[in-house]
Amino acid sequence: MAHSASLAPASPAAGSGFRLAIDIGGTFTDLECVNLATGESVSFKTATTPDDFSIGFMNAVTGAAERFGFALGDIRLLMHGTTIATNAVLTRNLPEGALITTAGFEDVLEIGRHARKDVYSLKPESRSVLVPRRRRFGVVERMGAKGEVVRQLDPASLDAITRAVATSGVGVVAIALLNAYLNPAHEIAIRDHLRAKLPTLRISCSHEVSPEIREFERTSTTVLNAMLMPVVQTYIMKLKARMASAGLEAPLYLVQSNGGATTPEAAAIAPVKLLLSGPSGGVLAAERLAHALGLDRIVGVDMGGTSYDVALIQNGRRAVIAQGEVDGLPLRVPMVEMRTIGAGGGSIASVDATGRLKVGPESAGAKPGPVCYRRGGTAPTTTDANVILGRLGAEGFMRGAFPLDAEAARTALDEKVATPLGLTVEAAAEGILGVVTAKLAGAIKLSLFERGLDPRDFALMSFGGAGGLHAVEVADELGMLTVIFPRNPSTFSAHGILQSDIAHDLARTRITPLNADAAGTINTLRADMAATGRALLAADKLPPEAVSLHFSADLRYRGQAFELMMPLDDGPLDAAGIATLIEAFHRQHFERFSFDDRRESVEMVTLRLMGIGALGGIGSHAMAAAPGAPTPDFRQVYLGGRWRDVPVFQQDTLTVASPVIGPAIIEQDYTTLLLTEGWTLTLAASGDMMARKIGDAA
Amino acid sequence: MSTSATPGRVDPILMEIIAHAFVAVAEEMSITVWRTSRSTTVRELLDYSTAVFDGEGRNVAQAARMPVHLNSMELCLQEIIAHHLPLEAWQDGDVIVTNDPYCGGQHLPDFIAFKPVYVEGRRIAITCTLIHHVDVGGGAAGGYNAHAVEIFQEGFRLPPVKIVRAGAMQDDLLATILQNVRDPETFRGDFLSQIAALEMGARGLRGLAARYGIDQLIAVGAALLDHSERAMRAAIRALPDGVYHAEDFVDGDGLDPGQKRIAVTLTIKGDEIAVDLAGTADQARGPINATMATTKSAVYYATIAAAGVAALANSGCYRPITVAAPEGSLVNARFPAPVSMRMLTGHRIATAVLKAFAAAVPERIPASYYGVTFNHAINILHEDGRRQVYFDYSIGGWGAHPEVDGPSGFAAGFHNGQNTPIEMVEAIFPLRFTRYGFVPDSGGAGRTRGGLGLERSFEFLAERGLFNGSFDAFVSRPYGLAGGSPGKGGRLSVTRGATTTELPAKTIGHELRMGDIVSMITPGGGGFGPPAERPADRLAADKIDGLVTATGLAEYSGAGVNGGEP
Repeated sequence: MAHSASLAPASPAAGSGFRLAIDIGGTFTDLECVNLATGESVSFKTATTPDDFSIGFMNAVTGAAERFGFALGDIRLLMHGTTIATNAVLTRNLPEGALITTAGFEDVLEIGRHARKDVYSLKPESRSVLVPRRRRFGVVERMGAKGEVVRQLDPASLDAITRAVATSGVGVVAIALLNAYLNPAHEIAIRDHLRAKLPTLRISCSHEVSPEIREFERTSTTVLNAMLMPVVQTYIMKLKARMASAGLEAPLYLVQSNGGATTPEAAAIAPVKLLLSGPSGGVLAAERLAHALGLDRIVGVDMGGTSYDVALIQNGRRAVIAQGEVDGLPLRVPMVEMRTIGAGGGSIASVDATGRLKVGPESAGAKPGPVCYRRGGTAPTTTDANVILGRLGAEGFMRGAFPLDAEAARTALDEKVATPLGLTVEAAAEGILGVVTAKLAGAIKLSLFERGLDPRDFALMSFGGAGGLHAVEVADELGMLTVIFPRNPSTFSAHGILQSDIAHDLARTRITPLNADAAGTINTLRADMAATGRALLAADKLPPEAVSLHFSADLRYRGQAFELMMPLDDGPLDAAGIATLIEAFHRQHFERFSFDDRRESVEMVTLRLMGIGALGGIGSHAMAAAPGAPTPDFRQVYLGGRWRDVPVFQQDTLTVASPVIGPAIIEQDYTTLLLTEGWTLTLAASGDMMARKIGDAA
Repeated sequence: MSTSATPGRVDPILMEIIAHAFVAVAEEMSITVWRTSRSTTVRELLDYSTAVFDGEGRNVAQAARMPVHLNSMELCLQEIIAHHLPLEAWQDGDVIVTNDPYCGGQHLPDFIAFKPVYVEGRRIAITCTLIHHVDVGGGAAGGYNAHAVEIFQEGFRLPPVKIVRAGAMQDDLLATILQNVRDPETFRGDFLSQIAALEMGARGLRGLAARYGIDQLIAVGAALLDHSERAMRAAIRALPDGVYHAEDFVDGDGLDPGQKRIAVTLTIKGDEIAVDLAGTADQARGPINATMATTKSAVYYATIAAAGVAALANSGCYRPITVAAPEGSLVNARFPAPVSMRMLTGHRIATAVLKAFAAAVPERIPASYYGVTFNHAINILHEDGRRQVYFDYSIGGWGAHPEVDGPSGFAAGFHNGQNTPIEMVEAIFPLRFTRYGFVPDSGGAGRTRGGLGLERSFEFLAERGLFNGSFDAFVSRPYGLAGGSPGKGGRLSVTRGATTTELPAKTIGHELRMGDIVSMITPGGGGFGPPAERPADRLAADKIDGLVTATGLAEYSGAGVNGGEP
């Protein structure tokens, strides 16, 4: 595995001192800190400072240093997950920009792929167009479909758009020309010309941001990148200034959407790669925990108040996709694959005019929140159903700091759901949770289906505040036999960031028929990419022994638009290797889509390399064992259609030696777990918990 | 799940869970087609649909895609069951397929495939995929033969047959189909994808039966149809009772350039709606005729959209709607009338019905969208004898909504789908695009403005090609409402050297030579409300963005008159 590569002292991760991870969220800035000598880690929370996130960053670092007694000079490495780019996009707090296209194609950005989402609506849905038509400028030039110059870049036209850009007064420009993914010469020429004439302009070129076919997706990604440049660059500048004045000299790395870390310099020119920086922390943590537990296929789920995120770990690695969407804007850069549905603790249950039960996607959010929160909420939610049924303890919530109003929840749910449906309150509440379970399971099933995978081959890992009450039932619904609950879900994401490695994604598109002749082409390409990857990692000051390279090939039947990503073995390919690869492709196509087509030829579209620079594994620190066997309290919980006396355990009293048999409830600081009948839960030495279906031999 | 079905009543919780599961099955089928198909028509344009039926052939769930397909699949299946292959003749592992408009289909390129799903010997469901195939032989590549006067000239016609029997592909039948189409390899790839998706859906449904039991699954399916019917009736009841008339027009039929009238009488009474198309033109000699599958589908689409029903789309929605169309008319053609361009009439049935609704609920109905699918196909003949078929389409602007401007170049109305990326076309076919963008001054003027039409123009780079176009709304422009102007009409021209030739909306076999430039201009949407009421700041913004030119300014500010009614 890449993660276990040994470390030389010359690498950014030395064997002593401290490594810090700082994860800036909407409300809190989380810090996780590991003592590299002992492997012991501690966490620290401080308020996020939305006006200038770098203040919160430094507050966290200096606060942690004081609390845990280390000097800033003892910090060896700072890993940083940031939602700065995401927030800028979600609030559309982006600078005005201009777009330069091939003349005649200025409207490609607005036309998009032109399909609507709601087919029956007569009122148009709004299209998010980041650059208005008045600032989309066409330049006379043309590259052909083989990368040949069809029409030279016209100097008069170049002067004209330069004047237009200057007149428009914008600070950022995106350049996206047709077929530039095959030949970037004109994009480069325009960029150089603009730089010379307008030196303060920030410029982003499509051949650098997203060098792949399909002009709209490439243009959209490039525009977003250009607009994020000032946002991210300003932030990095402020942060570095604050670090310098505090005397903090440790190297800083930012976590990207693909889960790999990058330098601030690289992030400043490719800020679009930071858009999923936040969520990728949780996925990284899931990947590392899976590795520590010896599991290589995991579905990681993060259930909060309003949404449910699903991510995959396959063959021990997080699933990364080449294209996704942020707030309706297509984005074509490598990112952790994540499916999000609107289902959380705050999802509202209601009965529509025709008598159909609905749960979500409308959410009561944090304000007013569920009825039981006593903050003025009147619509019954998933959390209210859990409280009514005793799954969530009304008194013990947040260790008693925040008692819940079960009676108010009951009244609301009776009036809004149970009575209209003609059910008892208990049956209605259990029904709501049944619908929620089906929705969560459906999201997981669809995520796996798209990759042709079977849930029964996976373990479920649940993090996020609201997931623990549903995870075991979701697993049951899908036939999954194992559910993992991390020790400390509230700082799970920061913990993941702490263990991030440097990652460089390289891709080369060469549509090549996959036959015996292809071996040479692939081997040459591979050697070239390997050299590039090693050079990039060497520039990151990583010693060769910390570097590992992972190749894969995107394969498809001739003519298909989509490929299956097949991992390649180490070492050069020969004819037999090609034959094995083709056979593996046929098999995977059959598994995923119920057919293969052995008469059709297979072609390689893109060769991919993920170059990993290991920053060093962090030894996990065993928890101090609690003495004796835990003694639970009991409370009435409605399960399987009746009220039952169910044991309630506190997580910190569990011991490795005493498994918990379901039905049972386990309470943590920020979350509650429900173990249903037929499941047992054991505590690992690391403090993480693993629930298994009884009778599971695996 | 503790709850269980009580006799005569379906558990509301199970119903909600299974409703989502049915839609998920349709979505999984859709993903399978998308990811495994070969032609740009399917994988980029997304010209296909998937659906789930109950064991008796009633449509219970759809993957949201093409309204034109979705609302006709049940008609096709019921026609097959009633007149061709009764359900008793279906067996486990069969796949039944047809493309025949006179067996419940719409036009020959659309192949509709069905697969029955059996559990414990009981037929619990039927899965369905509909794909628009690139070519079906006949007198014109892509199937759009503008000069056809009977369906035999439009291509290969397959009655409902079992292409797969008890799990065994009928290779001789498949070979027969492939022998009759211009690009057999692409056809075959798309066809296999279509059949594989049926099985992916069947797997999902068998899983649901195992999880919830056959009886529950069947009961929920029936309850979902009843639920959608109730929702539809409630929505209709909220509409003002009355009898409303409207008309819209299709340009000529390819042989006769005269406009064809579509007449609609809409009767809203209590919780039911009747649409009568009496007064519509007689069936045309050329290929713009619609069969009842197209006509009903268009009426269903327009009615569901106008009623604003937020229910699960399934055939329960159709129950309160009756459709009457005179036999032998443009909207209920008799065999063997040609039908390849039926979509042009289908769009205008939908816009005519929507116009009738505008009289009942004016605050809800936008002016006419572009009202046409700009389908075109080129039979490309390379110097070395190789042949390719390029099929593509373009769309135009939305009609202005009473509250907001119509979007420009955005899929609307009776169809939906993506464009083919220019770089993808250029990578596969000998074409090089010269422009893809909005057409200034093409949106209808009004208080809210219609969306702009699109220009899509390319240079032809092969030795020789034959261009076929199935276009409309060159003359019959998209209507405005409440004093708004109509959108500008469409255009097709070919430029060779210094000479530009205007071509008719229905064009067949126009010869292209290397270097020719084909230019397609789609219609803009109609405007809503008097142009004089257009706010000055909106007008100024349109001017700055070049959506309205200096020449067009007078018209859009209400100072001038929009040139001529159709």
